[in-house]
Order: sequence, then structure tokens, then C-alpha cells
Amino acid sequence: MFGLIGHLTNLEHAQAVAHQLGYPEYADQGLEFWCMAPPQIVDEITVTSITGKTIYGKYVESCFLPEMLANQRVKAATRKIINAMAHAQKHDIDITALGGFSSIIFENFDLEKISHVRNIELDFRRFTTGNTHTAYIICQQIEQAAPQVGIDLRQATVAVCGATGDIGSAVCRWLNRRLDVQDLLLVARNRDRLLHLQAELGRGKILDLMEALPLADIVVWVASMPRGIELSIEQLKRPSLMIDGGYPKNMGSKIQHPEIHVLNGGIVEHALDIDWKIMEIVNMDVPSRQMFACFAEAMLLDFEGWYTNFSWGRNQITVEKMEQIGEVSRKHGFKPLLLNPQSN
Amino acid sequence: MTTATATPELDYHSDRYKEAYSRINAIVIEGEQQAHDNYIDLAKLLPQHQEELTRLAKMEARHRKGFEACGRNLSVTPDMTFAQEFFAQLHGNFQAAIAEGKIATCLLIQALIIECFAIAAYNIYIPMADPFARKITEGVVKDEYSHLNFGEIWLKENFETVKAEIEEANRANLPLVWKMLNQVEADAKVLGMEKEALVEDFMIQYSGALENIGFTTREIMKMSVYGLTAA
Repeated sequence: MFGLIGHLTNLEHAQAVAHQLGYPEYADQGLEFWCMAPPQIVDEITVTSITGKTIYGKYVESCFLPEMLANQRVKAATRKIINAMAHAQKHDIDITALGGFSSIIFENFDLEKISHVRNIELDFRRFTTGNTHTAYIICQQIEQAAPQVGIDLRQATVAVCGATGDIGSAVCRWLNRRLDVQDLLLVARNRDRLLHLQAELGRGKILDLMEALPLADIVVWVASMPRGIELSIEQLKRPSLMIDGGYPKNMGSKIQHPEIHVLNGGIVEHALDIDWKIMEIVNMDVPSRQMFACFAEAMLLDFEGWYTNFSWGRNQITVEKMEQIGEVSRKHGFKPLLLNPQSN
Repeated sequence: MTTATATPELDYHSDRYKEAYSRINAIVIEGEQQAHDNYIDLAKLLPQHQEELTRLAKMEARHRKGFEACGRNLSVTPDMTFAQEFFAQLHGNFQAAIAEGKIATCLLIQALIIECFAIAAYNIYIPMADPFARKITEGVVKDEYSHLNFGEIWLKENFETVKAEIEEANRANLPLVWKMLNQVEADAKVLGMEKEALVEDFMIQYSGALENIGFTTREIMKMSVYGLTAA
């Protein structure tokens, strides 16, 4: 059995969802309440692979909200993630993906130190960040969406914003080894890490965000920030392709220009309908088939019986592991989300 | 992103700490004493479980002694008058249920609400406790899970017939718990225990118990927060 640990986009969204699901006790409450709320299993999922194999899963709502980070409620935020993980383990889930901010919080606040939760000893082998599959899917989106908008990768400059992160560094490795792009721009806050990445790759220009954006034919956005980022069309090259692999995904609504194509990054579409309610709630365009690639990684590990923390620790994602997860992703019927032809 | 804030150092021998401890320690001692008495009373209603309930009662008495030692270790005199008043309403409800022979209500109050709250409080307290109290509390927590288990099993076996009674008992008693918690919020904070962490741990424990008994997620989500925001 697989599990998904998720959370809602913001307090307003959480209140609306609670209202929609018929929980007035949760719907009318402010952030204080969500800081106290326990994790809950709110959805049971059935997924069938194109190979014919069927697996079952559970969706654990952690009750984490990004406002907890923005308002310095770090203890509440970390408690949500650890408690959701303990909840998943207590319910005998074999492999659980940490979605949205969950894996970022786990990494940033070093939650591996908190392995003992109440009477549960957390077994980290039962969890995956899902980042290997996310990175693989973003790379597929670069490769397949670029020709959709007339960008020739061999002549393209690609900027990776959040390049030193777990997903960002994996995307850079893939771009370096597997794709023939003209220029690779590395954007991140920590200069030491950038230099380290540049040395590892043996290429790439280190630039500030505002320097990189006007040069980039393709921008891969994999930085995560509680409040997102403000971008204006004037800062961007035209035409260009923006792959929004960050969290929350809000670029599409903010940037609207015929020559700037925004694609939700790290999203996959399954070949068959999935029996679940939760993707409608997280506002996927095709909720019966689309989902975050990190969630799909837990499904893939369950399909294959690879009950191990396939994606774990910071900057451990190799091109070989991306190939490995990519192969089973295709085998079971997952495809990267591409641009809708009508919207171009 | 900032790093997690470090746990503040507690001075276990400061007047402020000991003053707060005199009330929290008393609550724990009184809670264990009442738990002992409640299990003895329950044994009268459930004679077929007398042996098990007597064993649990003895365990509670042992816990009380352990916590008394924790107070002595810090040279704190527990404020037992405060503790008796603190529990008065919940105790009154338990006694009324015993008198009416309402086993499910009694089990909900003692084996679920009180035990879940004790487990949550002890779990939050352990990392903040002085070394002596930490060792004692760790031992107690292990035992408390078995009490919870007893109540859960009985309520699960009789779920269909007592479901409505459990829901009614939840409505009558859970709001008292939130009020009690608010009453000691400031003292608990001095001991390094935060209210929101306590509530969350309680709800996890209590939701888990309700789930084991047979309630659905929807019912649990409603029951476990009942009266929280009004308190």
C-alpha cells in the first residue's frame, strides 16, 4: 500500500475545502486552530497501471499550512510533518511520498533527528520525497515542451532557479549529461553551494535571478517559498517557456502573455482514471488523471514493490536513478504534463 | 527558511518553575489517584473484568507514588486543593455515570479522555522534564497505553449498542477538558509544554482511540474538536 502526505495551499483554501467537505468545525477556524489540528486520512485511492496491476493507497492530510512558515510557526510546521509520517506508519502504509512543503520542511529542519514519536519509532525507509521522479518529469517537460513552442534546445539558454536544491541540482545534472542545451544558468541564494554545483557539472554560469531571466529561453522554477514570487513580463525573454516546478504553483495566473508559455512543472498525467477525490481539491485541471510527480513516485515504488526510500537526503539524485524511475514511470502509464495546444 | 528555534533551558530549581510545578505535579498525582479509584469503581460495574481492572488500578497507584517522588525530588509541595478543584467537574460526571450504571460513559471519561490526555501530556513533558522525572514519566507512559487499550477493546466490542452514549458523553465531557487545559496553560508553559502541542497530541491519541473503537474519519473529526474553539 502506498501513501501520500499532502497539505492545502493556504488558510483560505483550507477553510474552503473543509467547508466543501462538510466540516464546519474546521472551516470556520483560523491559523491557531490548524496549528493544533491532527493529521487525518481523508482519501482512499485505487490506481491501476497500464500493465493491469492495481494498487491501493491512502491520502494523509497533515494540516500543515504554508502560513505556518511565513508566520514563524516553525514548531507547529515541523510537528505537522512528523505527526503525519507517524500517522502513515501507524496505518501500515508501505511507502509514503512527502508532498508539497513536507519534504522541504523535513530536510530544512533536519527532522531525521526526531525518529521517536510517541510510541512509534519512525522507519524512514517507508518514506520518499518523490524528488527523483519530479526531477525526471521536469526534464521530460523541458525536452518535450520546448519544441511545442518553437524553442530549439540546442540553441537555448536554460535558467534553473533553485539550482542547488534537491530537484534543481538533479535537473542540472540531467541537462548537463542528457540534453544538448547551449547555455545553462545557475540561480540560487547560496553562493558556496552554487560554486560547488558548478564545479560538479564542469559548466554553468552563476547569475542573479534578475540577470538570468532576460537571457533565458527556458526558465525552470524549482525554488520553494511560502509566499511565491512576483514576476513581471518585462523581465522575461519573449518568446520563452516557464516551467513552474516550485510550490505553490501560481505563475500561470500571474504571467499572461501570448509569447510566454507557462507549464506546471513536475506534474504527470496517468493513462487511466484514478479513483480519488483529493486531486480535485488541489485544483488539478484533470483531477482524475493528473497529480504531482512526487506522489506518483510512491505509486511507482508500490507497483514495483520497491519498498525503500528511493528519494532521500539532499542532493543525492543521480542521472541513473532518474533513468530508473523514468523507465517504470513510462511502463505504468505516466506521462509528463505538456502545454495544451489550444492555449498556445 | 530559518532554522528551528532551540529548546530553552529550564531552571528546575527556580521559584517560578517550582511554583508552576506545585500545581502541575498535584494535577498529575490527583489524576492518578482518581484513575485508581475510577478503575475500582468500574470493576463493580464490570465484574467479569475485575482482575484486569484491579491490575490497572494498582498500576495507577504506583504511578501516583512515582509522581509524588518527582515533587519531593524538586522539593515541591503539590497543591492538592487546586488539583481536586481542577478535576471536580469531570470527577462529578464520572461519579454520576457510575451511579447510573453507564459503563460506556465511564470508560470514555477515564479510559479514553483522561488516559489520552495523560499520554499526550506525558509525551510532551518527557523531553522537557528533569532527569529524575523523565525516567519516571517514561515508565508511566508505557503503562498508560495499556489502559487506553482496555477501554478501546470494551467499547469496540459493544460499539453498536453504546455508540450514541459515547457521542453524548463526548459532548458532555470534552469541552471540560479544553477548559481544564486553558486553566493550566500558563503553568504548563513554564514547564516548557506548549498548549498547541498538547492539544495536537491529545487529538492524535483520542482520534486514534475513536478510530479503533469503530468511528469513521468524518465522525472522529467532528468529535475530537468538539467544544475546542468555544473553550
